[in-house]
Amino acid sequence: MIAADVRTRSVKAEEHLQLLRLLATELERAMDAMSRNDLPELEDSIANQQDLGRQLVQLADELSAASRPSYPMPFQSGDSDVMQEIRNATGDLQRLNFRYSVLLEHSSRSVALMASLFTSFQGQLQEDSGARPKHQTWSCRM
Amino acid sequence: MGGLTTSLLSGLEALNASQAALSATSNNIANSNTAGYTREVAQLSENQEELTGGSVIGGGVSLNGIQSVRDELLNLQIQQQTSLQSSADTQSSSMQSIETLFSSTGQDIASTLAAFSSSLAQLSANPSTASVQESVLTSGQNLAQSFNSAANGLASAQTAADQQVTSTVAQINSLTSQIAQLNAQLSPTVVAQQNGGTIQDQRDQLVQQLSTLVGVSVTNSSDGEVITTANGTPLVMGGQSYNLQTATGSGGLQQVLDSNGNNITSALQGGQLGGTIQMRDQVIPGFQNSLNTLASQFATAFNTAQTQGYDSNGNAGQDFFSIPSGASGAAAGISVALTSGSQVAVSSDGSAGSNGNVANLSAALTSALPSGQSAANAYASLVYQVGNAASNATDSSTALSQSILQLTNQQSSVSGVSIDEETTNLIRFQTAYEAAARIVSTVQALNTATINMVS
Repeated sequence: MIAADVRTRSVKAEEHLQLLRLLATELERAMDAMSRNDLPELEDSIANQQDLGRQLVQLADELSAASRPSYPMPFQSGDSDVMQEIRNATGDLQRLNFRYSVLLEHSSRSVALMASLFTSFQGQLQEDSGARPKHQTWSCRM
Repeated sequence: MGGLTTSLLSGLEALNASQAALSATSNNIANSNTAGYTREVAQLSENQEELTGGSVIGGGVSLNGIQSVRDELLNLQIQQQTSLQSSADTQSSSMQSIETLFSSTGQDIASTLAAFSSSLAQLSANPSTASVQESVLTSGQNLAQSFNSAANGLASAQTAADQQVTSTVAQINSLTSQIAQLNAQLSPTVVAQQNGGTIQDQRDQLVQQLSTLVGVSVTNSSDGEVITTANGTPLVMGGQSYNLQTATGSGGLQQVLDSNGNNITSALQGGQLGGTIQMRDQVIPGFQNSLNTLASQFATAFNTAQTQGYDSNGNAGQDFFSIPSGASGAAAGISVALTSGSQVAVSSDGSAGSNGNVANLSAALTSALPSGQSAANAYASLVYQVGNAASNATDSSTALSQSILQLTNQQSSVSGVSIDEETTNLIRFQTAYEAAARIVSTVQALNTATINMVS
């Protein structure tokens, strides 16, 4: 039973590592899509990121619980390599995440400016109601 | 059925629509914190009037396109982000040279601190051996020199940044002068009679170059192009340029003055100049303060331990390190005050062969300094800060490059813009960005979870 637990945790640690790497790949993919204005690919990547993020948070919680001193079976010595890889992958992911946040910050501002510009010019022609001569009014949202 | 009144009203509506469109652009851009955007307008046109039964029916107004406004907005964004990227690039480049000061070379502070600690451990075992006492003295000298070396390296980086300020200001003045000359050639008469496109292109290129040197705001008015720094200092107004100047400040560093002699150094942002000033006046002094504090607190703690004991000659211990008074300049000025290994205060009571005070000396290396960390940990924190700042500057530069690429791609995309389609896409982009921002937070939180998991 304990051996099975250890195996499960090792498998989870490996899985966690793979997910970290996949998420890093997705962040790179999203940034590339943004620079190319490839909206479908960006949306697809973000959907993947959300999914990977959810899985990672869940796994991190499970593995944190497993590493507590009160837990009956601490990590085995063979796990230390995986843990080191997880630490490195997390560091890489944080760096990418920082770059992603900077790109999002600036790109969001550009998109917001463009959106405000286009919204301004999305005028609507409106007609007065009633039988009297129709006045057409061009309005735009400010 | 419309009459003359309707016709007049429709014409008026068209004019109003045009006015509203102009106003909307102006307000929206202004509200989005973007200065000066009045040159281009929406391509509105009044619809064909209809003659029905002798009456004129106004056809209202049509919106033909907003391509030119869109391009101007993209140009503006490219210009602003180029300025930010240039600033990040400058900082990244400077940080790379600073990083080498803190890398592990064997002569760095971490290595010499470890060697000093090791020599004290040997002294504890052999308190009366002259060669071991001399070894402590030599290790202390090496440690002091590694502080001196790091401090001198930071001072050199600051001096290099200072020199860069002067040369960048000269480049800015040269560019603004050229832009003013081109502006003069682009007087309304010339533009009306000739094709001003080539001159405008040249001017736009120069403005782009200028934005890599300093963050600028470009406004177009009836008097021509007006270029100011981000804080509003005029650089070019139509055909007139206003030179920036440099003058040596009270701290010995070059200050940037506007054409009226006002000091605008701290208000300059973006571009090479903004990045250089930030490095010189904020980032490097921050590292210098940390290094000086470490040198001062460590030397003080070690001197205190030294004065608690007695040297091999039975004399009360005297200061091991000499440091300038106050923390400022401590790292550059730290040196070993003792002239002989026999002056190291090994004994706690002055008796021969005693090693009672070595524990106090060693404790000065491992105990928390007033900063709350041991010397080794405080130095490790400083190294982390340097590495993090270097990494962030490089990552910011890379991210801004991608953002500029995005804008450039958008600018060079199909010239005919479908307003509905593009608006829909922009909304989708905004939605995607909101989702992405949540992922950024998730990944940040994940870092803590992972640290808990692997620690």
